[in-house]
Amino acid sequence: MTPAGRRNGNGRSEEDAALERARAAIDALPRRKDQLLPALQEAQHALGWVTREAIEHVHRHTRVPLSEIYATATAYSELRLEAPVPGRWHVCTGVSCDLAGAAALLEAAPERTARIDCQFLCALAPVVVDARERLFGRMTPEALRARLEAEAAAATPQPPVRRRARSGTRTRRRPS
Amino acid sequence: MTRFPPTAALHALREAHPAPARPRVLLHLGTCGEAVGAPSAREALREVLGARAPWVVEAACDGACWAAPAATVVREGHVHRHPRLDDGGGDAVAACLDACCDAEGYAGTGERGLTARMGRNDGSLGDALAQGAYAAIAHAITRPAAETIEAIERARLTGRGGGHFPVPTKWKLVAAHGGEKWLLVNAEEGEPGVFKDRHLIEGDPHRLIEGILLACHATGVTRAVVYINGQARNARAAFERALADARAAGIVDGDALGRRIEAAIEVRSGAGGYVCGEESVIMNSVEGERPVPRYKPPFATDHGLFRWPTIINNAETLCAVTTVFDETPPPTKLIPLSGAVPRPGLYEVPVDGATTWAGVLAMAGASPGRASAVLLGGPSGRFVPPAEFDRPLEMRALGAGGAVVLPRDADIAKITRDLAAYNMRESCGECTPCREGTARLVELLADPGANRARIDEVIEVMTEASLCQLGGLAGRPVASALAEFPVAFE
Repeated sequence: MTPAGRRNGNGRSEEDAALERARAAIDALPRRKDQLLPALQEAQHALGWVTREAIEHVHRHTRVPLSEIYATATAYSELRLEAPVPGRWHVCTGVSCDLAGAAALLEAAPERTARIDCQFLCALAPVVVDARERLFGRMTPEALRARLEAEAAAATPQPPVRRRARSGTRTRRRPS
Repeated sequence: MTRFPPTAALHALREAHPAPARPRVLLHLGTCGEAVGAPSAREALREVLGARAPWVVEAACDGACWAAPAATVVREGHVHRHPRLDDGGGDAVAACLDACCDAEGYAGTGERGLTARMGRNDGSLGDALAQGAYAAIAHAITRPAAETIEAIERARLTGRGGGHFPVPTKWKLVAAHGGEKWLLVNAEEGEPGVFKDRHLIEGDPHRLIEGILLACHATGVTRAVVYINGQARNARAAFERALADARAAGIVDGDALGRRIEAAIEVRSGAGGYVCGEESVIMNSVEGERPVPRYKPPFATDHGLFRWPTIINNAETLCAVTTVFDETPPPTKLIPLSGAVPRPGLYEVPVDGATTWAGVLAMAGASPGRASAVLLGGPSGRFVPPAEFDRPLEMRALGAGGAVVLPRDADIAKITRDLAAYNMRESCGECTPCREGTARLVELLADPGANRARIDEVIEVMTEASLCQLGGLAGRPVASALAEFPVAFE
């Protein structure tokens, strides 16, 4: 399995540094089986996802067999065993968000968004999650497009970054 | 607050950790505020307040999620929440501070009970103490352990995670064991539509610590693991900060309350998965095993975490334990309410009394006539039809409390299929009835008219034979929708 990490220009060294951080965080945990999930979470925190190298390190540190680590890691919906798609946002499709227009949000930016299960922010539906796992509530298609555009503009070095108002938070009130 | 006068130890604690000066403006940030621009609202508010900007302090959501981003003015004799600061409102806050305001108190619930301090404090130990934190444990610790359990019995406290098992029964079973005993706090809260434990811990973490200490005092438990939903990062941070403060003050691992309570408290984060709310799954998760349910018996009270006798309580349950010495103790239930209501949020409502769904809807500003149903309990729940809106709420029937109000034009057949598909995705596969049943149910729902008899059969097998309640209750919303809203499937 080849890790499909975040590689660009000098990406390899960036990735190595992240792996070093992950290893250090894992090494700081007690060498016990009950530290398996915390170790995997440290790996994901440092690397953005749980890479093969990280799993091998967790295996060496906790002495849990690789097959068991995979069985456990794949059981948790929040652990990522593949590199996240850069810039991919998620639209919550829980019942409240669905009622409040999640489908329209997915349609507003189909190539930049994917659905995700309940994010437990139901009182502020509909909810989206950005690529850095920040939550935004009471979202509208227009506000979502504006945020995605602003993010894309900020990601490219030029032209000058347009500062947009935080329009995503000023949205219509929900129907009663 | 407890009806007992503060003990000398509590008095000394309050002196050592004085309450912050008033007046002040509590800006409700937290997960809710942050998701709707409260940080920008803070800057705008500071600008309007000028020299009084330092009066603005950060608090979590107080349960009025609908009002976010909001700020609450607290000054002598006046507590007033100002909603939706993204629509302006800074001037009203300033006027309110100048005493040019005649509005009354809070909208909604939570002036007493277990949400009394939630989101109404600045996160400091002093503020929590001034609002009554640790008064229950300070009193309980001066009395025999059995008195705490008796008080819980008098309050008829049951498990608020959904099972509604009597708390004293569980505590006594564990207390009867010698040797090492554990407490597992279930704050995984992975049920879609539920956001109560996250609010409680984010907005009033000292209440959960106090509940843990009460359990340790009453049962001889000395080790506690608090298992918090992986996405509730603010809740975990708030809890860890409060725990560090309580340790530094000698409340945890010290004798500041007058007598030392042994309580080694450890925090763990979940990593998703509806099944992880099931108590035996959490035990496996904490031990580093694959997160699947265990066979019962043995029960956790005999053979739990790391094989030690273990109390497993929901976070809301332990928070409710802190109120059993109050003038008017529970039963109240936290109801996370969302969907088609003008004021969605977290409501603490008295149950087993006069409160009805119509009353809850009215609290949230909705007219009962405009709702087609209340989805109660999400993927494990049922559709409460309008015919039941006027019946009193029963604690046992509320599950974990998550309620989504469906508008008149809601597509109940689609919602039912979505819930069935969710259960299929979340089934851990450990037992056949759930692994196969959840998938069959999705297939059969393609044509519920023709498959009605087989749907009932599959649900019966899942209900009777599943290893845990994910499978055991997976057919419940389907059966409820078909029974109450047959027209929706035609």
